[in-house]
Amino acid sequence: MVSKRFVLKRLLLLVPVLFGVATLVFAILHLSPGDPARVIAGQRATDAQVAAVRADLGLDDPLWVQYGRYLVDIVTLNLGESYIIQRGTPILTILRARLPVTLELAIYGQVIGILLGIPFGIISAVKQDTLTDHLTRVGALTGISMPIYWTGPLVILLFAQFLNVLPASNRIASQFDPPVYTGLITVDTFVFGLQSGEFAAFVSAASHMLLPAAVIGVYGMALISRMMRSSMLEVIRQDYMRTARAKGQGAKITVMKHGFQNALIPVITVIGIQFGTLLGGAVLTETVFGIGGIGTMLVQAIEVGDYPVVQGTVLVFAFLFTLVNLGVDLTYSYLDPRIDQ
Amino acid sequence: MSTQTQTETDSTRRGFVSRLRASPFLSDLLSNRLALAGIALILAMVAVALYARIGALVGFAPTYAELQSSQFGANPSLAAPSAEYPFGTDIQARNIFDRVLYGSWLALKFGTVTVGISTAAGVSLGVVAAYYGDITDNVIMRTMDVLLAFPSLLLALALVAIFPNELGLWRAVTALTLVYTPRFARVVRGAALKVLEDEYVDATIALGATDPRVLVRHVMPNCLAPITVQSTLNFGLAIIDLAALSFLGFGAEPGSPSWGLMLSNGVSQGLLTGDWWWSFFPGLFLAVTVLGFNLLGDGMRDALDPRMREAVD
Repeated sequence: MVSKRFVLKRLLLLVPVLFGVATLVFAILHLSPGDPARVIAGQRATDAQVAAVRADLGLDDPLWVQYGRYLVDIVTLNLGESYIIQRGTPILTILRARLPVTLELAIYGQVIGILLGIPFGIISAVKQDTLTDHLTRVGALTGISMPIYWTGPLVILLFAQFLNVLPASNRIASQFDPPVYTGLITVDTFVFGLQSGEFAAFVSAASHMLLPAAVIGVYGMALISRMMRSSMLEVIRQDYMRTARAKGQGAKITVMKHGFQNALIPVITVIGIQFGTLLGGAVLTETVFGIGGIGTMLVQAIEVGDYPVVQGTVLVFAFLFTLVNLGVDLTYSYLDPRIDQ
Repeated sequence: MSTQTQTETDSTRRGFVSRLRASPFLSDLLSNRLALAGIALILAMVAVALYARIGALVGFAPTYAELQSSQFGANPSLAAPSAEYPFGTDIQARNIFDRVLYGSWLALKFGTVTVGISTAAGVSLGVVAAYYGDITDNVIMRTMDVLLAFPSLLLALALVAIFPNELGLWRAVTALTLVYTPRFARVVRGAALKVLEDEYVDATIALGATDPRVLVRHVMPNCLAPITVQSTLNFGLAIIDLAALSFLGFGAEPGSPSWGLMLSNGVSQGLLTGDWWWSFFPGLFLAVTVLGFNLLGDGMRDALDPRMREAVD
């Protein structure tokens, strides 16, 4: 069990980190070159117009006043409005529309990574120092050495260009316009399919998901199988494993029942951390596969200088990342109560 | 008397080499075939990089300016790989083979700077935090926590936006240095705390050694192993991240023969026309280089972990 005190302590420790995150983002945005007032007013605006916009935005106030206002805004979940890419739309609305796109990709990728990584890791550990082990390890190391912006184009070339069996970009073929319930396109089209009996849109969405999810999955598989292997190797050497075997229990059952459960604990950490990395890596995957999630939006916002979008996105991602890490820590202490003490 | 002095100097002179020989870390590492393969890959890449760089300076390989500018007339545009153009040519008729070779110089140079600075900064911060404890420790490590709270590529992207475009890859280097430093600080602080528990540290302090002397002569050398592993693994990551920033358009200056930028052009312009060689070869060299560092780093980590040494039946 995780004690309430432990959870409370972890939550309290979160406060200074989140405060620091918010401060750093504020500092980065204020150090960035470019004048937001000029960006909003447009290139042809007169200096007086620009000055009016600047006063309107409160950019003439002393820095500490701006900082205070910024902190209050964050606490009240007011992240401002986009200047350029979706002018006038609140950042939260934009993020709410785009976040499911990024999350969906990360979830499918992660599931593939887990389903492949865990078995490979176990096999590698059980057959330590055999050819199977060496091949799996080299395979995993190769997997994490190939960046997504290389493997992505390669699978696009192979499956979309030369074999022409899978689509290269976007989330769904352009003739479909599925209703939005959750924002997760495979779920939405599936629900739509159930309602209408027409599953063509779902098939299209699923086939668009296949390549990007597979590319993310292979990368995840490499990390997870590495962790699973070393964690399993450690567990295999424990006394209780020998005891179980001495009692006459078969090798396979011992490994799966006693070994697997205990070895899984550190792997969960890797899975959690990796999920955070996937959110950051979405920038690359979405660029390669032409998917309009948060990643592509962030790149666009940085290029055109849409500061509120950059600020809001980075803040939300950092908060999500921190929460995921907290969740991982809590799961970890739930599975291994010694950590609590 | 004189014989005794003789043996003493002998043993101190022999000290370093014999200590290296006796070190289970090094012998484990050298008996690890994967780690050796990693070293071989890295050395091959260093050789390629030096060939391209020295060639550009001395004249037996194309100069940076030649690689950067378009070569219409000299070469065909978008030629597929052939004996003359082993990796083909790009849309500006540039020989991709020469560009990829020079790219390894850029990757290793900027990777070394990134990892070098973040190692130095992270080691200093980590050792100081561990040694002084209390407020110093808290201020340093909580700052590191904040930096670690961001997904790394995202923080790098936000930081890159601060610096002017003219800095090219240097702004990517600066941003990534800030992103990597906390990782080193955290690992080194942990290792240093363990070293500080040892009695020889107390003894040195009791003998009147100054703080810098204790840290530099006694604590740092004993943290060397985890630092080396961390640097090696991060070298691979640095090469990937530097190229990623270039790929997204926030790194190398336009026209530069950096792998990330070549990949970016190859993907945005060559993907749907099927000119696969444009993005294939830069990525291949990048992956092979990173694989070298990962093999070596992984081997080092195994060699450091005594639990992995004994075989199990």
